Amino acid sequence: MVASVIEGVRFAGVVSCVPERRETTDDLAARFGEDTARRIAAATGITARHVVPPHQCTSDLALAAARHLLDRLGWEAGSVDLLILVSQTHDHILPGTGFLLHRALGLGKGAAVFDMGLGCSGYVYGLWTASALLRAAGGRRALLLAGDTTSRLVEPGDRAVAPLFGDAAAATALEADAAAPPMAFALGTDGAGAPYLMVPGGAMRRPDTPAHLTMDGTQVFAFTLREVPGNVRTVLDLAGWSVQDVDRVVLHQANAQMIRHLAAKIGATPAQTVLALAGYGNTSSASIPLALTQELAAPPGGGSLRLLLSGFGVGWSWGSATVTAGPLAACATLVLDADGRAAVSADPATDAGGEALSAGCPAKFA
Amino acid sequence: MDGKDFLLALDEMLELPSGTLTGNETLETLEGWDSLAVISFIALVDEKLGLVVEGEKLARARTVADLLALAGIAVPA
Repeated sequence: MVASVIEGVRFAGVVSCVPERRETTDDLAARFGEDTARRIAAATGITARHVVPPHQCTSDLALAAARHLLDRLGWEAGSVDLLILVSQTHDHILPGTGFLLHRALGLGKGAAVFDMGLGCSGYVYGLWTASALLRAAGGRRALLLAGDTTSRLVEPGDRAVAPLFGDAAAATALEADAAAPPMAFALGTDGAGAPYLMVPGGAMRRPDTPAHLTMDGTQVFAFTLREVPGNVRTVLDLAGWSVQDVDRVVLHQANAQMIRHLAAKIGATPAQTVLALAGYGNTSSASIPLALTQELAAPPGGGSLRLLLSGFGVGWSWGSATVTAGPLAACATLVLDADGRAAVSADPATDAGGEALSAGCPAKFA
Repeated sequence: MDGKDFLLALDEMLELPSGTLTGNETLETLEGWDSLAVISFIALVDEKLGLVVEGEKLARARTVADLLALAGIAVPA
């Protein structure tokens, strides 16, 4: 297992963005029947998901989030040394989505930019990679952009996946700072899990097969119970924290039952455990930062919070991190309308229109 | 947890009247046994017995007695 402590990198801010259009349990009821839709919502804790219109992609959501983040932090685009884009739903087969964002954000030619193809573990892997590279390369500022439009891979009639996945992207700012508290990471992989969570078609191996997501939920759940609790214990040991020291446990937001069960297994109380998926569903690599922007927008007392983050899924791939964050100069959840206009939705200074879009789905504890 | 308690827990999980399941039932005849129930079953076994059922073995289970066997519990006489 890879386990590392990275010092001197500050978690400076995080902004997430979801598309405006929502699909609710009522929409599912029309497809799968009232009883089935209600049962799924009760079991998963997911009552709505935001989905992109056909003309919007991961890069549109990530761009809105990144622009807002840079603006709030007062960072010049040219001061960003590293941009990492984590996604499995690319705008094009090539070039990587990171290059489109480099151009759209106006980053400098001296910046290093690349994509990482990871899903539900991707945010933790991205934090680890960006932080480690900032330290190793001597850069000052990094943007980590993580997001997916998984709705584009979902066959609407597939009951196993259609009720679960939503679209979102998030931008996270990391900055070299000798005074920053250390971050600890523990990462793992088991490629034997590849067949159980897969989009087999649409790429080079099966170009004529439509790109549809398939998932064996039983295998996914069994894998998380096998691997995640031990991984979390490892990262807590590495950080020198006990689970009681953690202010917020933010597990990948896949399913409320899974989150509650994993939280109990690692010894976290419901008051520590963030459940922020009710209005968004499983947003893949964006699920952890999307939960963070709901949870950290107004931290109690305005102080810093000790966070335990854990992502796990497609691969199998998993990773946990301990991060001390806040108070954050930039922390917001945006809603992007079909015309590409973004509005803050979960911020104390929210306009009424944005507020109405997310009023029914505030973050809550498990 | 003995077999009787486990059957009662399965009754509750599947929203059946307490005492319904005996072990002889075929899973495909149980209306509530679907992909959501499978997840709940894995959680139940892990919570009560500290055991993570293997997904492949669970996919081969045909009866309630098979579920008890996966949990390492004898079917009550």
